[in-house]
Amino acid sequence: MSFPFRTPARGATTAAGAVAAVVLLAGCSAGGGSTNDGAEPVSGGNLVYATGDAEPTCLDPHVGGNYPQALISSQYLEPLVSKNSAGEIIPWLASSWEQSEDGLSWTFTLREGVQFTDGTPLDAEAVKANLEHVQDPATASSTGYLALRKIESAEALDEQTLKLTLSSPDSALLESFSMPWVAIQSPKALERSQEENCAAPVGTGPFMVEDWVKQESVTLVRNEEYVSPPSEATHSGPAYLDSITWRFIPESATRYAALQAGEVHVIDNAQPDTIKAAEGSDVIKHLDAPRPGASNRLELNTSKAPFDDPLVREAFIRSVNVNDGVSTLFFGTAARSYSPLSSVEPLAYSDSSQFGYDPEEANRLLGEAGWSERDSAGYRVKDGERLTLEFPVSTNQSIPAEQSLFEQFQATAKEAGFEVKLNLLDLSSWYGALAENDYNLVSAPYTKVGPDVLRILFHSDSTVPAPSGYFANLSQVKSEELDELLTRASETSEPAEREELYEQAQKIVLEGHYILPLYDQQNHFLYRSEVSGVRAWPTVSTPDFYDAWLNS
Amino acid sequence: MVEQLKTFRWVLAKVLGAVFVLWAVATLIFFGIRLIPGDPAEAILGGPGSQASPEALEQVRRDYGLDQPLPVQYAAQLGRLLQGDLGDSYSLRMPVAELIADQLPGTLLLSALSLLVAWLLALGLAGWSTLNGRAAAVVASGLEIAAAAVPHFWLASVLILLFSNSLGWLPPVSTGSADGLVMPVITLALPLAGFLGQVMRESMLGAMSSPFALSARARGEGESGVLFRHALRHAALPGIALSGWAFGNLLSGTVVVESIFARPGLGRTLLNAVTLRDIPLVTGVALVSALAYVLVMAASDAAERVADPRLRTA
Repeated sequence: MSFPFRTPARGATTAAGAVAAVVLLAGCSAGGGSTNDGAEPVSGGNLVYATGDAEPTCLDPHVGGNYPQALISSQYLEPLVSKNSAGEIIPWLASSWEQSEDGLSWTFTLREGVQFTDGTPLDAEAVKANLEHVQDPATASSTGYLALRKIESAEALDEQTLKLTLSSPDSALLESFSMPWVAIQSPKALERSQEENCAAPVGTGPFMVEDWVKQESVTLVRNEEYVSPPSEATHSGPAYLDSITWRFIPESATRYAALQAGEVHVIDNAQPDTIKAAEGSDVIKHLDAPRPGASNRLELNTSKAPFDDPLVREAFIRSVNVNDGVSTLFFGTAARSYSPLSSVEPLAYSDSSQFGYDPEEANRLLGEAGWSERDSAGYRVKDGERLTLEFPVSTNQSIPAEQSLFEQFQATAKEAGFEVKLNLLDLSSWYGALAENDYNLVSAPYTKVGPDVLRILFHSDSTVPAPSGYFANLSQVKSEELDELLTRASETSEPAEREELYEQAQKIVLEGHYILPLYDQQNHFLYRSEVSGVRAWPTVSTPDFYDAWLNS
Repeated sequence: MVEQLKTFRWVLAKVLGAVFVLWAVATLIFFGIRLIPGDPAEAILGGPGSQASPEALEQVRRDYGLDQPLPVQYAAQLGRLLQGDLGDSYSLRMPVAELIADQLPGTLLLSALSLLVAWLLALGLAGWSTLNGRAAAVVASGLEIAAAAVPHFWLASVLILLFSNSLGWLPPVSTGSADGLVMPVITLALPLAGFLGQVMRESMLGAMSSPFALSARARGEGESGVLFRHALRHAALPGIALSGWAFGNLLSGTVVVESIFARPGLGRTLLNAVTLRDIPLVTGVALVSALAYVLVMAASDAAERVADPRLRTA
């Protein structure tokens, strides 16, 4: 594992990393990712992909920056770096890079001979234009903007060499550059109006955007001049598929029916019941690709009663029966997590000892915390106040199985004397409840490549609301020790130190009972057996169709 | 001359009513959508999953005039609407008028076909039960009540399970081919046929036992002759009167049906627009729907005046 550049060589050498890599590989092989079954790939054909995610408002992922945009733009835009399936950063449009001793400047050398599909060459000026595009307020980038926040300026040293100057060292820079939200587009195309660029961004990828019929589909066609696959690809040259029809089918049952009928080849957002139903089928295969970043977890709001008391937090965590609920409601499609990070993150640290279901311990802890009386309904009371937990749930972000799981939590927590008030809300109302600090429990997914997501979720800076009222540290943890660890981890250029710091930070989060980890952010694809060679990118788990082909 | 004056007053009343309805719809939506907590600027920036930066939100608020006081925004909105400008969609970044023009034909086709099928089903059932005695009337009444009670989403799911998953006869996704229209049309038409059938059968039965039917029989007309030549017109009257209402019902039904069958159209546009708090698009779709409803009501009024001469002199 030696690349001609300084690489954050952590990865699979650590225990946590090894576990994560095994899980990732298991996920891929179980789904039959990049299976060729020994058959010779054939060129041609149109692959129909049906997405259940919202239709993007703009096909340029610099603008805004959400997961639906990442899904589709991974087919026509390529970032500077990627990850291999062991979770290590590998070159892509950048062939090598160097970090200065103080960590404040980075030099990237770009891959030679790459052109955008409009004929513009990929050079240092092009990448500079992209960074400026993401940072321009008029672009209204959110995800990409946050990822590149530490970049102060970019300078083209020569055709293929770009120097970046940072405001402070950034150990997450390469991970940030691997994300589709900062993928590189043709500078000529970026000069067009935002409307035009949103409709058909121009990249270096294996496919190009040809047409977009709103609410129906986007047509992607093969880039015949394609030369820039990353090292993990199984072939070179243009893609096998002639084209991809990217359809929008919001209803889960319709999407699955269309897959069964052979009307579409691949579907995303497969729900636990459909995955289970597909298990018995010979024609439908499963690809399990958990998203990176944070695990799905309940966040316990420590800023107000009753969760300002650590005893009550632990009591709640001990009182809910997570494992039984997850295995019955997700039909075994989701593995339990005991970490704040996704299992695809090599630096994820797990501790199951903090999260065992133990009703007796819950009772003892509540007694110790002074909640020893119960009212006529069986709920605990203290000084005339009932032990009530407000739990706003976003119906956009929690799938039906997860909503049912929360109902089970409500039932088991009641036995210990907690009154959990589940409140199903649309996204805007849910944001509203969070902004008004009107919650004790909440579940909010967060996708990002790398452990720096911990800084976003648990640094006290993230308790300060943005003008919109939103803040990411929903447990409202304010710990100087944790802040210090997270800041140092984000600035160190020593991989071993980084790993050690993130492990300590995760221990504090887990032992403080700020969160109740549930499972990875679920991301399941189902595809028909005539599709071969499909896999999920190890970066943000979007599907990769470059090596995919259709056997007739 | 008196006749013309009456018609003119009838038209004038309809036009004024329509203007009032449109203004009320625009106003209700403008204020109603703001009662939902949250920030449309965040929705503009991609909504779920994207963490918008303060700078980006600020920029968007300025660009879309969301930083202005509410009365100013309302006045600006009405001013634009008066000039016939529906504005640009937040979420799809296209002129609302263009979006609606793209999506309207599909929804109109779906609604019109469903109305036609519902009419045929209802008339067929009413005719059959009228000609076949009391037992048939009981059966027909049961079918109508059952059909009218079925929710769209349930019917659509059952149809997909049956005709796509099990039998494999029809595509679950309704685009591209004519057979894709079959299930959406049945889903919308069946419950509606239940409602229409109930009123049509009542008035057909009434007409069959009325004096003019008796005299037709006395002239030697057979039962089916009485039905088709005389009673049908009577049965159609409440049907026509209800068609305006039925059209409104269909428009709301398309929200569900277009989403389930992944069919592009105004209903699906509206659903997405509401979830994303896309105020210009919600307003645009609602105005067009209200206008369509007003026009269809006027048409069904006019059709009633044609079918029933008594209304013209009254």
